[in-house]
Amino acid sequence: MTLPAAFTSVAAGVAAAGIAGWSIARFFTAGLTRRESAAWSLASGLLVHAIVLLAFLGSGTRPRAIGFLAADAVVVAVSLRIRRPRRGNPPLRGRRGPAEQFALLLLLAVAGAAIAIFAIEALSEPMWSTDFLAIWGLKGKIVFATVALPSRMFHDPALAWAHREYPLLVPLSLVALASFGAGWNDQALALLYPACELATLLALYGFLARRVSPVAGAGAAALASLCFFLYRAVNAGTAEVPFALGAVLAAGAALDFLDADSPAARARLAAAALFCASLKQEGSLFVLLLAAMVWWRARRSPARGRRAAALLLCIPPAVHWGLLYLLRGSQTRRDFDLTLFEPRRWLELPALFLLVATRMLGTEARQAIVPLAAIALYLLVTRRGIADPLLPVFAAQIFCYAVAFSVSSFDPLYAIEGAFRRITMTLFPAFTLVLCARIPYGVPGWAHQSSDPRRTPVPGERSGLPSREAAGPQGGGTRGNTRKWTES
Amino acid sequence: MAPEARTRPPVSYGGPLAVLLLVVLAVCLASFQSGSEIARRWVLLKRSIVSGTPAPAETFRFWFDPDYAVFLEAVAERTPAGASVAVLVPARPDAYLYLAVYRLAPRRVVDARWMGEASAVAVYRTEAGRGPEGEPIPHGTLRAR
Repeated sequence: MTLPAAFTSVAAGVAAAGIAGWSIARFFTAGLTRRESAAWSLASGLLVHAIVLLAFLGSGTRPRAIGFLAADAVVVAVSLRIRRPRRGNPPLRGRRGPAEQFALLLLLAVAGAAIAIFAIEALSEPMWSTDFLAIWGLKGKIVFATVALPSRMFHDPALAWAHREYPLLVPLSLVALASFGAGWNDQALALLYPACELATLLALYGFLARRVSPVAGAGAAALASLCFFLYRAVNAGTAEVPFALGAVLAAGAALDFLDADSPAARARLAAAALFCASLKQEGSLFVLLLAAMVWWRARRSPARGRRAAALLLCIPPAVHWGLLYLLRGSQTRRDFDLTLFEPRRWLELPALFLLVATRMLGTEARQAIVPLAAIALYLLVTRRGIADPLLPVFAAQIFCYAVAFSVSSFDPLYAIEGAFRRITMTLFPAFTLVLCARIPYGVPGWAHQSSDPRRTPVPGERSGLPSREAAGPQGGGTRGNTRKWTES
Repeated sequence: MAPEARTRPPVSYGGPLAVLLLVVLAVCLASFQSGSEIARRWVLLKRSIVSGTPAPAETFRFWFDPDYAVFLEAVAERTPAGASVAVLVPARPDAYLYLAVYRLAPRRVVDARWMGEASAVAVYRTEAGRGPEGEPIPHGTLRAR
């Protein structure tokens, strides 16, 4: 098969996943923007195709395009027979001034160009990163070739370095796409990664356009797309880019849940948690930290069961871990020396943690001093935004990385050098929610005088938390240039 | 003082400063990309669409040793999919082993420690002194057991 034909097959697989995912996501995306729905559709579709693939593997049948399409048709048909929940209030459209229109177009053009660059990077040669060859791609290729999940993938001592404990959604997604006719073409399969980037940017744009302003959404999409440390060729074939999508979806779902509890918001929490946990171990950590944040912020909520709903973020990772455990049995984590947590070795921990923290706050932070200073100053000069509750989640996640590096089986400094920036930058697209939710309404007031603030289209039924965000302005602004909240 | 001037809001520098800081951040993020690399990859993509997968020497996968691609291809052609292959390859970079395991999958690929369990031993040229003699293949030997 020629490369263009292989690209076409894989693109068809991505599109089929999107359609199957749409038929699931339509039940919990009512009230969201179309862009958000598209992002949820891809994430849900990857999960649906992974489940369909597992069914094929379980029956010993080689998965083919026709099989996936038949399964997708069943899913769509069943979905269409069930009445979709009531749509939430549509987003209110304010008048856009020419300055806002120009800013919007400029930012979206930047995001579009950045996607094109990542697509060129990812598709120009077969995927080659070490993690692809040794972990994600290797597992996918073995599954594709053997039409099974062979036990040696989890128990062969010769594959001890292949991280047998890792989740399997990335390899299964690659196998599902390969089954659409291209075979195991590891150049064409890279198409999954620009697709995930596009979905991530759509999710960012859609969420902030709905909750803050279109310019804030476009700003987040542009800023995230320029994160070329994440969106570059070496990350094609790994779980970083899909996890960035999962983190954005989970963060957005948590913010919506805090704003207004509803069955749809709860379903999104659960779906995002499952997606994140199925991609990376850091994904499970992220959703558990989100759950802690949701639980903490919901503690004063008068609505019964609201705190318990935070469990929705915990259940999918737990169920996923249980299923993975049944599949692969107990696995040692070769990356970590967990004996350091035993009482006899506790005294070693502070020195190791200090070493790691010094490295992170010293060398690593110093190399990124300009962007870090820009972020810090930006947070100082802008008003709080709706995504600020995420700040402690990001801080806690990075703290957990520091702890993990402290108990590394290898030299902690070597581990930091190899992984810290990569796994931290995976969080950046979700972090742009925090940054761009603080962008003043529309375009800054000094640029023009129009741009109405927007009312939150609440996709749920009940009112939200008694928080400033739920009751007042949804966007940020600058300290010296705030605007009054007015309903149009 | 004119009434318009009295009602004019105070000048704030917060907005422009915030936008400027985001621009600084965006520029820092974008600096990880290089124009020449994009141009190189664009040429590579166009060529691979026209004439198929690029040659190993042009790709990052075999950046350290393009000949190794030919060796692995030869081993793959001569061993069945269900075989177990021991590969004797340089220890550094570790990409030698990872590429062998990936390229030869679904075969079980092991390193020298499990050579006794393998149905074939593939020896890359640089490791010729360490392995058993076998049939010459491009850039190495292969011995069926």
